[in-house]
Amino acid sequence: MFDLIFIVPLLPLIAFTINGLFRNKLSKTVVQSLAVGSVGVSFVISVLLFVELIGLDPAARSITQVLFAWIPVGDLQLNIAYLLDPLSAVMILIVTGVGLLIHIYSIGYMAHDPDVKRFFCYMNLFMFAMLTLVLGDNLILLFIGWEGVGLCSYLLIGFWFEKKSAADAGKKAFIVNRIGDFGFLIGAFIIFWAAGTLQFNELRAVAPEMFVVGGSAITLATLFLFFGATGKSAQIPLYIWLPDAMEGPTPVSALIHAATMVTAGVYMIVRLNFLFVMAPDTMMVIAIVGCATAFIAATIGLAQNDIKRVLAYSTVSQLGYMMMACGVAAFTAGIFHLMTHAFFKALLFLGSGAVIHSMSNEQDMRKMGGLRKHIPITYKTMLVGTLAIAGFPLMSGFFSKDEILWKAFSSGQGHWALWLMGILTAGLTTFYMFRLVYLTFFGERRYDDHVAKHVHESPKSMTTPLIVLAALSVIGGLIGIPHALGGGAHFKKFLAPVMAAIPGETAHGGHHDMTMEYILMAIAISIFAAAWFLARYLYRMNIDKVTSLKASMAGIHKMLLNKYWVDEFYGAAIVRPIVNGSIFLWKIIDVLIIDGIANGLGYIARDMSQTFRRVQTGFVRGYMVAFLFGVVLIIGYLVVR
Amino acid sequence: MINITPLIPELFLLVMAIVVLMLDLFSSRRTVVVPAYVSMAAVIITGFLVFKFGGDAVRWGSNAIFVADSFSQFFKVIILGAAFLAIGSSFGTADRMTHHRGEFFALLLFSTVGMMFLVSAKELILLYVGLELTTIPLFVLVAYQKTNRASSEAGLKYLIIGAASSAILLYGLSLLYGYTGTTYLNEIAQKTAVYFLSHGFIPNAEGTTDLVGMGPAFSVALMMIIAGLTFKLAIVPFHMWAPDVYEGAPTPITAFLSVGSKAAGLAAIIRIFDGMLYAFSHDTMPNDSWGTMMAVLAAVTMVAGNIIAIRQTNIKRMLAYSSIAQAGYILIGVIAASKLGVASCGFYMFAYMFANMGAFAIVGLYAEKTGKKNISDFAGLSKTSPIIAALMTMFMLSLAGIPPLAGFMAKYYIFAAAIEAGYTWLVILALLMSVVSLYYYANVVRIMYMVDSDNKHHIIPSFPAGLVLALTGIGVLLFGILPQSILDMAYKTASSFIF
Amino acid sequence: MDIGLYHYLSLAAFLFAIGLYGILTRRNAIAILMSLELMFNAVNINLVAFNRFSGSDGLSGQIFALFVIAIAAAEATVGLAIVILIYRNWRSIDADRVNLLKW
Repeated sequence: MFDLIFIVPLLPLIAFTINGLFRNKLSKTVVQSLAVGSVGVSFVISVLLFVELIGLDPAARSITQVLFAWIPVGDLQLNIAYLLDPLSAVMILIVTGVGLLIHIYSIGYMAHDPDVKRFFCYMNLFMFAMLTLVLGDNLILLFIGWEGVGLCSYLLIGFWFEKKSAADAGKKAFIVNRIGDFGFLIGAFIIFWAAGTLQFNELRAVAPEMFVVGGSAITLATLFLFFGATGKSAQIPLYIWLPDAMEGPTPVSALIHAATMVTAGVYMIVRLNFLFVMAPDTMMVIAIVGCATAFIAATIGLAQNDIKRVLAYSTVSQLGYMMMACGVAAFTAGIFHLMTHAFFKALLFLGSGAVIHSMSNEQDMRKMGGLRKHIPITYKTMLVGTLAIAGFPLMSGFFSKDEILWKAFSSGQGHWALWLMGILTAGLTTFYMFRLVYLTFFGERRYDDHVAKHVHESPKSMTTPLIVLAALSVIGGLIGIPHALGGGAHFKKFLAPVMAAIPGETAHGGHHDMTMEYILMAIAISIFAAAWFLARYLYRMNIDKVTSLKASMAGIHKMLLNKYWVDEFYGAAIVRPIVNGSIFLWKIIDVLIIDGIANGLGYIARDMSQTFRRVQTGFVRGYMVAFLFGVVLIIGYLVVR
Repeated sequence: MINITPLIPELFLLVMAIVVLMLDLFSSRRTVVVPAYVSMAAVIITGFLVFKFGGDAVRWGSNAIFVADSFSQFFKVIILGAAFLAIGSSFGTADRMTHHRGEFFALLLFSTVGMMFLVSAKELILLYVGLELTTIPLFVLVAYQKTNRASSEAGLKYLIIGAASSAILLYGLSLLYGYTGTTYLNEIAQKTAVYFLSHGFIPNAEGTTDLVGMGPAFSVALMMIIAGLTFKLAIVPFHMWAPDVYEGAPTPITAFLSVGSKAAGLAAIIRIFDGMLYAFSHDTMPNDSWGTMMAVLAAVTMVAGNIIAIRQTNIKRMLAYSSIAQAGYILIGVIAASKLGVASCGFYMFAYMFANMGAFAIVGLYAEKTGKKNISDFAGLSKTSPIIAALMTMFMLSLAGIPPLAGFMAKYYIFAAAIEAGYTWLVILALLMSVVSLYYYANVVRIMYMVDSDNKHHIIPSFPAGLVLALTGIGVLLFGILPQSILDMAYKTASSFIF
Repeated sequence: MDIGLYHYLSLAAFLFAIGLYGILTRRNAIAILMSLELMFNAVNINLVAFNRFSGSDGLSGQIFALFVIAIAAAEATVGLAIVILIYRNWRSIDADRVNLLKW
């Protein structure tokens, strides 16, 4: 059975190849069935692999499938090899499972798009890259997947490239991610230089000997890797690309920019947790950055009017949660939240897509309202998603968030301030999510008759994934119920073999006082209730008060609406001084970053090229002169030397 | 009696070339198929013979004059591969010729034989004859389109620069002969090694020698040989002929020039410098002067080739500058002067063969169908011929060195060898330049995929052209993902050298 | 005065230099081909002189020279053919006018 590991990523690749090469000849149905079918089979195999893995002894749950030696000579011994262990098993389940649902959803959502075949090509390529990322058994393979998903993300954000905002958003995502990738590569190089290997299991074995806990090499390496993660997982300071990425089709937002790709940074940190725990300073940075991102993004989410943008900032915020979990060494909790978040955020995005679909592509919530009766399935499923993300007791988000908050408070790396910010963020999350629900589904209808004529529930292919995801959002948390609530914490036990203990701490930290955990849980629930009530009071009962409230807090509202002017700040503080500073420097930036690799060395190179090509005069005797010039010069060098 | 069994592959190909020439006399002039297929078959059989009769050497007295070692076998495979692919993509070109079709293929085979001799030669006269047997048929082939001004211009330029460079090479060889009193490479190696081990590197004016006693003449000889051989590789500043000749020559010949003649020249350079003069490199790396000088040549070549390629509009000319730049990368492997260096050169050439032959095949195919040769003419190709466009993308990305294609592995090995040898600065420059190269390689891809045009040309390759594209496409992909077997082979070739 | 190796070598070097000079300055393609012949002949003088004076009893230098003569003849044949081709296409054998391919 474990021989089949490589099939999981291979199938989408095959589908991509066939569809990519023959999409002119194949019919739309064939392309779609190939695309969806390949992901479906991958999912089935993933489930089988998972079952098989559970059947093994916990200590033996790490299977490496070496396909072949790739870079065999010299110091760097690298294989194309896939690693199946509890962590990657969970990840491929999430990726193929949620991916499959979103592929099915896309059939309905993209039905009217003329370029739907291209869309499915990119989606399949993405699946391949993402599965390579999570299954790769070394950092280089992970990086290839990392770049692959980045490329697909770029292609899919700019899918409607005739739209300038979409093309710009794609470009922004590309640039920001390249900056992060640079950090990733430096981190990987430092690790290779210090440890001599990039293979995960080998690294884990040699790390304690090769690195000193808290030493500069490990701290630097992990900091750079984390910087790479801030790019991919949209953390401060590189989060700015994600909200713009919503220019892509909604299934893309759900799959890439909520459920899977953006969690790659979290996955990478968890994958290398044995390195990160050796660098307490980095851990602190991660916790603070994650916590700050969670809070700031949540506040921005309060004032957004575009339904997808609210969800985008919510995603940034939730990713901050996961990062915070990693920072306090609660890696299991991070992955747990990653999983539940994949369920409910995919659900919310797909739901918002269904709303947008039924509203004839209107995204502004101020022009919605009262949709509850017209699109009941969408409404119900989105409500479930909202309850899950807000942490309604016993829903999936409740358990995963609670786990993170408890760890933030109690773990050795934790601090009560982290917990406080976390709980405030949870309140904000509840508030803006119910604001979204009330503005969209309740109250007066605020759209015109023209739109009203077309309001309709989405086709089956779209509602079915919503229902499945809603079910998962409800029950997804059950596998990870903590001991405090009488659960077995199965998820934690399952992932335990992958996680490293923090050096200097005992493995379990002794039995803590359950009372404290109950108290914190109670606070969380009450904050949830308060925020819900406030949102209900403002947006359900007294929607007119919102206007006066907005007026009374005009300054803050403006600040939030404009996302703290971060984009403008980056523009003013970074881009403009460079523009004005020096033409030369600007060209370097232009070359290396803005124009990306595609535009190459840009103007300098092109000018040089234009000059130097004139050397080739076309006169054959001139060529002979150059020839002799070379001979004489080199003889001169050899003789004089 | 001299044992000539190692020569059997070359002799066979020679006979077949004459057979092809004869076939043209007797077969109908209407068709190009017979001589072309016979040539392709001959090349394949020669490939088998190369392995069948490998390992031995032709000796004159105690000195080997022609060796069929694993190193030469490896390069002969590359050369024969290039010849096979060139013939395969020549059908269209040859079809439009009014006469002399048989000669076209015969000349190609003669040139191939010359290259095989060049790769195996261990004696100066044989080396020179092999070199000229490579070049003279190519003069004719380059100018083969008789009514085409560009083609005849390319012929003239190639002839003048080529003949002058071989005169310069010859002058160097004559000095080397005078210096050592022998034409056998292994005797030359012994004598120079003895000399240099006792005197250090190149003798200065005051240095006395126990050979002929000519001091700086030796460096002059060396340099002239370097110039004559790097001319084949199109190393700056001995590259000026390449863009013009590549642009003017019939496309399959351009492809053959850029791969076959480069591989042969490379093998000769490796034989002379890494093999014969190993004593220099061995004792004084990496700060010896010939190493530094060659490193500077490689650096200048990479910079000039890549930079100038950016502004080219004609795709053949762009590929010409690209192949100049590629030669710069390859030279890094020679400079590394180690087993890994030789192996990486071989692998690079192997990977380069697939990508370059494939790219030129598509260029030729496209020009045949549409008569257009500019990069911008490729707009919209992804819509009309998605498979051709996908293949072209693969070739471009392989040339640029993007994983997981063969070009990436090739660059990786070259760089690993150079770092091992201590040329880190050269590797950094090469990396930078490969970023630059991405500009013009990716530009082709961008134009094919992202630029709309009303181009309606659907490219359907003929069977042989399709075969060429399939083989090159598979090669680029397969040896990027599974390079192991070829690498092992390339690594074995290095065992002919004492490092 | 004895005529020694150095005299021959100097003669060869001069001849070679004259040939190079011819290639660089002559615009007539035929003249360029003739200059090339001078260079090859310079090499021949070198080879034969080395063979005579280096003291080794072999004949390899002279044999080398024979090969060079033969190949130079082949090269000249092809060269003249190409020059005729140039004349047909360009109505001129001025190397500087053959200037279609550049940049």
